[in-house]
Amino acid sequence: MGFPAPALRPLPTRGNLGHAAIFMVFPIFVLTFSMAVGSVWADDPKPKPDNTIHVALATPVTPQKFSRPVKFFVGDVIDRAGNPQPMLVTNARGGIFVDRLPVDIVRDALESSLKAADMLSPDAASADLILNVYLFHFGLAPSLADFFGKIELAVAVKDPKSGKSQQITARGTSISHVAVRKKSEMKDLETDFNGALSDAVRNLLRGQALHDAVMSATASPASAGN
Amino acid sequence: MRTFVAISLAALAGILLAAAPARAKDSKGKYKTVEAKHFDRAEGVELMPEFSDYLYAELRSRLVKTKLFDQVIGEGEVVEEADAPASVVITGTLTEYKKGNAVESRVIGFGTGKRSLKLQVTLVRRSDKKNLGSLAVRVKADPRWNEKILAVEAAKQVANEVKSSLEHEGS
Repeated sequence: MGFPAPALRPLPTRGNLGHAAIFMVFPIFVLTFSMAVGSVWADDPKPKPDNTIHVALATPVTPQKFSRPVKFFVGDVIDRAGNPQPMLVTNARGGIFVDRLPVDIVRDALESSLKAADMLSPDAASADLILNVYLFHFGLAPSLADFFGKIELAVAVKDPKSGKSQQITARGTSISHVAVRKKSEMKDLETDFNGALSDAVRNLLRGQALHDAVMSATASPASAGN
Repeated sequence: MRTFVAISLAALAGILLAAAPARAKDSKGKYKTVEAKHFDRAEGVELMPEFSDYLYAELRSRLVKTKLFDQVIGEGEVVEEADAPASVVITGTLTEYKKGNAVESRVIGFGTGKRSLKLQVTLVRRSDKKNLGSLAVRVKADPRWNEKILAVEAAKQVANEVKSSLEHEGS
């Protein structure tokens, strides 16, 4: 009656562990290799037509009016963002790029807006004021559940006659939601960047800071002395 | 009887169609421009540095959605002299921020341990700096949520309060 006592059987543990170690080497090697290759790919996405967005002003921004006509010349546009890949918008989904360098996008936006309002001078010599633009941020700012596009400019407004220069800042922001499909996401990013660019150019050309800088630069010496 | 119903329906449709443009005209921006400035922070309000930028951007997009303003302009933009009397400037301060406690929120519930943010918002008419309203806004959120979600909630509430305050101000 009763249950038989369980018999303990010795197992050849050394042999089993040896086999297990051999079988584990291969998956670990494959995993390490694939992670290394994946990280290399992830760090270096390449711009292609299907992952590139076009950023430009949809309609030129109308600059503010000054008491007397002023002609601007867009001088240097310098990227100070310190971004090693300035055209890369995001690394996600194999990378999304803008079609031109940020400095070219900003220059084009400023020149087209000033030209539309007949306030663009063809050269520096004939301009009343020269705008030297420093681009401090062009791209996405850190965000969790959406795209937060941000463009920050510092502009040196230089009077070529006196050589005096004043610095003003302008910024543009835009928020758009993250889409599920990559195509929709690119469309949203394009809208987001265009919005931020338009906002930044508007903030500069219609800003009180530019108004004050122009007034102080173009004030006659007699009135400035009083 | 049928003729009577048909005539009644036609008359009703006519009234509705005539009223629609009037309603649309009323709902079109009551104010020419609104300028939202970056909100200041009171001492001791420890939020991430980009919170103010995000709140500013989100508030601007929410103000567009109120349809109370023809234009939502950026900070520091000039406004035409003619538009200044019908333009509003929004300034604000983040007066208090409590991080909340995720454990309290989970264990006790009933709003305990929630993250909270208090804002003091001021609406001013651009032309004569007349105070159009002072709003005290309080936002509560789950402590596990990101601070940016708090900014979205804050912007939403501020935009709603601004809308309600300005609508009542006009009437």
